[in-house]
Amino acid sequence: MKRLGIAEALREAIMEEMERDAHVFCIGEDIAVPGGWGGAFTVTLGLEKKFPDRMIDVPIAELGFFGVAVGAALMGMRPIVDVQYGDFLFLASDQIINNAAKLRYMSGGTAKVPLVMRAPIGATGRGAQHAQSMERFFTGVPGLKVVAPSNAYDAKGMLKAAVRDDNPVLIFEHKLLYGSRGARAEPGATDATSDIPEHDYTVPLDKAAVRREGSHVTILAWLLMLHHALAAAHTLATEGIQAEVLDVRSLAPLDYETIGASVRKTGRVVIVEEGPKTGGVSAELAAGIMERFSESLVAPVTRVASPDIPVPFSPILENTYRPDVPRILAAARQLTLPCAGLERSPLR
Amino acid sequence: MEIQMKMPDLATTGSDVRLVRWLVSPGQIVKRGQPLVEIETEKAVSSVESIATGLLKEVRVLPGGMVSAGQAIAVFEVATTLPAAADRISESAASSLGAVPMVLPHYKRAFLLSLYERMVLIREFEERVRFLFLEGTMAGTIHQCQGQEATAVGVCSALRANDWITSTFRGHGHALAKGLSPQELLDELFGATTGCCKGRGGSMHVGNMDQGMVPGIAIVAGGIPLAAGMALAFKMQNSSQVVACFFGDGAVAEGAFHEGINMAALWKLPVIFVCENNLYGASTHISKVMKNTRISDRAAVYGFRGQTVDGNDVVAVFEATRHAAADCRAGNGPVLLELLTYRRIGHSRRDPCHYQPAAEREAWLSRDPLLRFATCLEQQAAISAAELAEIKARVDHRIDEAVQNAKKAPLPAVEALYEGVFG
Ligand SMILES: Cc1ncc(C[n+]2csc(CCOP(=O)(O)OP(=O)(O)O)c2C)c(N)n1
Ligand SMILES: [Mg+2]
Repeated sequence: MKRLGIAEALREAIMEEMERDAHVFCIGEDIAVPGGWGGAFTVTLGLEKKFPDRMIDVPIAELGFFGVAVGAALMGMRPIVDVQYGDFLFLASDQIINNAAKLRYMSGGTAKVPLVMRAPIGATGRGAQHAQSMERFFTGVPGLKVVAPSNAYDAKGMLKAAVRDDNPVLIFEHKLLYGSRGARAEPGATDATSDIPEHDYTVPLDKAAVRREGSHVTILAWLLMLHHALAAAHTLATEGIQAEVLDVRSLAPLDYETIGASVRKTGRVVIVEEGPKTGGVSAELAAGIMERFSESLVAPVTRVASPDIPVPFSPILENTYRPDVPRILAAARQLTLPCAGLERSPLR
Repeated sequence: MEIQMKMPDLATTGSDVRLVRWLVSPGQIVKRGQPLVEIETEKAVSSVESIATGLLKEVRVLPGGMVSAGQAIAVFEVATTLPAAADRISESAASSLGAVPMVLPHYKRAFLLSLYERMVLIREFEERVRFLFLEGTMAGTIHQCQGQEATAVGVCSALRANDWITSTFRGHGHALAKGLSPQELLDELFGATTGCCKGRGGSMHVGNMDQGMVPGIAIVAGGIPLAAGMALAFKMQNSSQVVACFFGDGAVAEGAFHEGINMAALWKLPVIFVCENNLYGASTHISKVMKNTRISDRAAVYGFRGQTVDGNDVVAVFEATRHAAADCRAGNGPVLLELLTYRRIGHSRRDPCHYQPAAEREAWLSRDPLLRFATCLEQQAAISAAELAEIKARVDHRIDEAVQNAKKAPLPAVEALYEGVFG
């Protein structure tokens, strides 16, 4: 057992999978330069020493090297390809959406694309083009699995599961969760370390996780927002509101079994999403919950998300933009009051 | 230069092939693509074409012999091509280039001094921002341009006031060279409403639509098709304006570069594509990501003019841009300028640059554009060291003031969060 942050956990997962299977290789910008950085967020730091032939630095050509990764996967390799910032997925998206996600289907099930893609997201003081929450753009793509680990244990286990999966898997990571100390101590960085067992393990790509049990309200969140949701739940408990917090973590497909069990228990749902509200993953979740569990709901599903604007640079605006603990608290309190100003109704 | 030709892998089964006969003999000049030798595989008799244009010096396999794929079969003597730019300027070669003195044409004194002052302004601005950043006064991230002052100033000083530029994440120098004030830039970096983008853009997106600078495009190569589009508008509006489009060596691998320059060439658009080749895209040396490191060569294949220029010589950059702008205004655009330069600092905050070899760094730092220009001004334009020192003092004072103001600049009201998305 050891304590690791997400960046180290991902590195370990990549290393172990590359040791286990010679078909696994990494391809991306600045991932293997001696004296360099190990990618934009140090995930592959030093791996070029161990695997000189399987750590491939590329030109800045996202459409090109994502296409190369898809092609290699098609011929039996298991590439792990990354972008430095999730925002650059827009450049690669033709290869991801039109090729990687559809080749199996278009070939009548005969082709397979065992591809792992990694992309850091989140608003972190870098302005509008290095900040977007990209999940929304990829969760509605049939043929693509999308996951978003919020702690180091999941990061390692999900990356391993993704490498062993025969389908394209897109992993979203949050810049503020890679680590919160040393060189990574940037404003807002949040501790996402976990105890990592010595033995090999995987984490399923289609299961949500209950992070805190409660009976009054269900809070659904992932990545950084999950950590905010847990902090909010802690405060709510002191007010007598028992929140159940679910780490959605598998964004496509969504795990309605775990979500449903919680909704049936609490009857109230707050969904927290870092990206803009319109067209977000939370919209899909809200609709999906309403379709499946409306008889269990005692109040409309509530969403906490960013406003429909590009991510502003000015720190004061960015901090107002991004959902935070007070906004989650306000939503949860509102939902557990039947009517403002009245006594709280007996909770189910 | 001698090159060897190896047997291509032609057999569908991977087995060896038999060499039937040579179609040319040693001593003959052959052209690339010309049939060279007849071979026989298990399926057919066919010929193999020459991979080079040059003198066939020697054949290594005789008729009737068996050849395996990859085996050397012939040796050519070919004309020496110019070594690629990076090889010429990289590492030790840079010191010899530094010895080549800058030559001053007959410019007016005031113009020379204005070039120098603008370069000093950029250097001192960047050094101050770096300090504020390390001190923790400033949020976000920064990409700075110390060492690349001559490219920004040389290009922008050759443009007219109503010409435009597009820039990148590394835009502070371009902005100052285009005439944005240190105050509006600093205010932007502090996230203030008085910043050039009202605090909405930040370091990676500085620009000012009233000064002919589109907010920096931080997506590598994203500004290239954009600049072509701006130039298309100029053409459709019968305007004589041009746009100078700044990007790095890293950008030429992106599809957007190729798509953008092809359209600009096709429609003869008035764009000066300015590639600041500082040998690195982030931590990656250009030799790792392109086979032909002479970036200006890209222009010819799309049918327009490209030129490699010493980007640490502000006068050379000015002259090259002046000619490029004239070409563009005459309807003979676009032009691709490759400006060879070097970044003295990390790619972005906290990058210690460990990937830059010490010898290369040293060679390039000795060709620092400011130092070289100062020396040249003293030696060739009889401008005294005291005059140059005075300029620096004036710039320092201006920046001091701007920093003090920026620290007190008004921050946006949170109620203004929703403003500015649509007009
Ligand atoms: C499409 C895209 N991919 C990757 C990046 C991340 N990135 C930012 S700067 C940079 C290197 C750019 O190198 P170059 O074009 O040579 O410009 P320089 O940094 O040398 O000024 C990279 C990879 C980006 N901003 N946009
Ligand atoms: Mg560069």
